[in-house]
Amino acid sequence: MFLRSLLGLAGFVALWGAAVPVFNIPSYLLPGPIEVFDRICFLFERAELAGHIQVTVLEIFWGFLLGTFTGIVSAIVFARIPVLLRIFTPLILLLQTVPKIAIAPLLLLWLGLGLAPKVVLVAIVSYFPVMTAMLSGLRYIDKSFTDLAGVLRLTPWQRFWHVELPSALPGLFAGATVASTLAMTAAVIGELMGANKGMGFMLATGQENADTATVIGMVILLAFLGWAFFSMLEYLRKRMEDRFS
Amino acid sequence: MIRIEQVSKTFGQGKNSVVALAPLDQFIGEGEFIAIVGPSGCGKSTLLRIVAGLETATEGRITLGTSQLKRPVGFVFQDAVLLPWKTVAGNIRFPLDTSGVPRKVGDRKVEELVELVGLQGFENALPKQLSGGMKQRTAIARALADDPAILLMDEPFSAVDLMTREGLNDELLRIWQATGKTILLVTHSVEEAAYLGTKVMVMSARPGRLRKTYDVALPSPRTEETKTSADYLDLVGELKHMMRDADR
Ligand SMILES: Nc1ncnc2c1ncn2[C@@H]1O[C@H](COP(=O)(O)OP(=O)(O)OP(=O)(O)O)[C@@H](O)[C@H]1O
Ligand SMILES: [Mg+2]
Repeated sequence: MFLRSLLGLAGFVALWGAAVPVFNIPSYLLPGPIEVFDRICFLFERAELAGHIQVTVLEIFWGFLLGTFTGIVSAIVFARIPVLLRIFTPLILLLQTVPKIAIAPLLLLWLGLGLAPKVVLVAIVSYFPVMTAMLSGLRYIDKSFTDLAGVLRLTPWQRFWHVELPSALPGLFAGATVASTLAMTAAVIGELMGANKGMGFMLATGQENADTATVIGMVILLAFLGWAFFSMLEYLRKRMEDRFS
Repeated sequence: MIRIEQVSKTFGQGKNSVVALAPLDQFIGEGEFIAIVGPSGCGKSTLLRIVAGLETATEGRITLGTSQLKRPVGFVFQDAVLLPWKTVAGNIRFPLDTSGVPRKVGDRKVEELVELVGLQGFENALPKQLSGGMKQRTAIARALADDPAILLMDEPFSAVDLMTREGLNDELLRIWQATGKTILLVTHSVEEAAYLGTKVMVMSARPGRLRKTYDVALPSPRTEETKTSADYLDLVGELKHMMRDADR
């Protein structure tokens, strides 16, 4: 499975490497894979690329954690106290429907150019899919499970831990997967709009200097980052499923 | 002991209300095996759910004479209701795990129960990998796990083939005799009711009510011979007659 997807990737790179000389594409439009690879190595050695990657990863990590955590906790609270849901729905929807790109400058104005505005932006975009997935998981619990919990006289905590949480888990992870792609986008957008570190900052610099190899290099690294993020979620999901079996 | 006094249940209010159960009286002694038969929608499940405390009676009173106050009844639902993320073993031990039974003790108990319901080799299977009958057997094992004095079973064998079903019936009788549990079992089969019960409650629909409670005077233990005895066949005939009558 893993080998086969690697094969597909290799095929794509080979096609790309062949297309550049065959169609005589100038390097400022599309540099070949070797040139891009060289550029990435160069950036690691001379431009502290590792540091930039670290900044972006940290923004995504903390933002995603914050958004997921508040999403899960507020969903639990909303499921218990539906009045709160009705009170907060307009606010949450507003925050959700406004284009995130429009919030970004505001956050930058308020929180400066450092980590904080990106973390907040990532948290905002991660929050909604996680909260809604968790909430519907908790609210639409199979009624017969409620009966089982009733017969076994489960305490509210047992009910949550043994019945509600595991039934909500598949939905929760689907929501988290959606949130993970949004989180990556939000971090890069935040950095594109104002930053002096991070992969989005590198992208912006590459664009200003018409340095196509750097831009493509960043896109590739971001793709790998997204793939690692996704794999981590999958791993977590399997661990949680084992935990509850 | 279960004392059911003038228990009735109405779902909904006003014009849309449904009388699921008209006032019903029944005394069930310690260690009795009550079989309940009746047409679809006559309130059999509702009665069991009220006894289990899953539904509150609109009127009347239920008294359970049991010392197991925390978890007075075991319940086998009409459709197994297994937790899909748990294995067979995990589902069976669920009542034990949620009442603080040590893991070691639970492991031994699960092993026993798996053997009892004949699911050896499927301990680590997930519910989606089981047939309907296997699911139902898992649910029965789960209901027996923490040894409740009162066992409520809502058509527990409806998804099981006839051969397995007869085997499970005998198994159930054996468990009942060995443990002295009080059992209420809903079934659509009057033959099964007559074979298993010390009493058979015949119910009728619209509104759901108790028609008659038969005392079953067949000798114990029940065996294959029971099924050919004249008394048994008479009772089955009478129950069938009553059921047809009740349907009208
Ligand atoms: N939660 C509910 N809300 C409204 N009506 C209900 C509810 N539960 C049961 N009823 C009604 O009560 C009546 C009795 O239902 P019940 O499930 O007890 O029947 P039953 O004898 O178990 O039938 P079956 O043999 O088909 O399982 C039915 O008319 C049903 O529509
Ligand atoms: Mg029923």
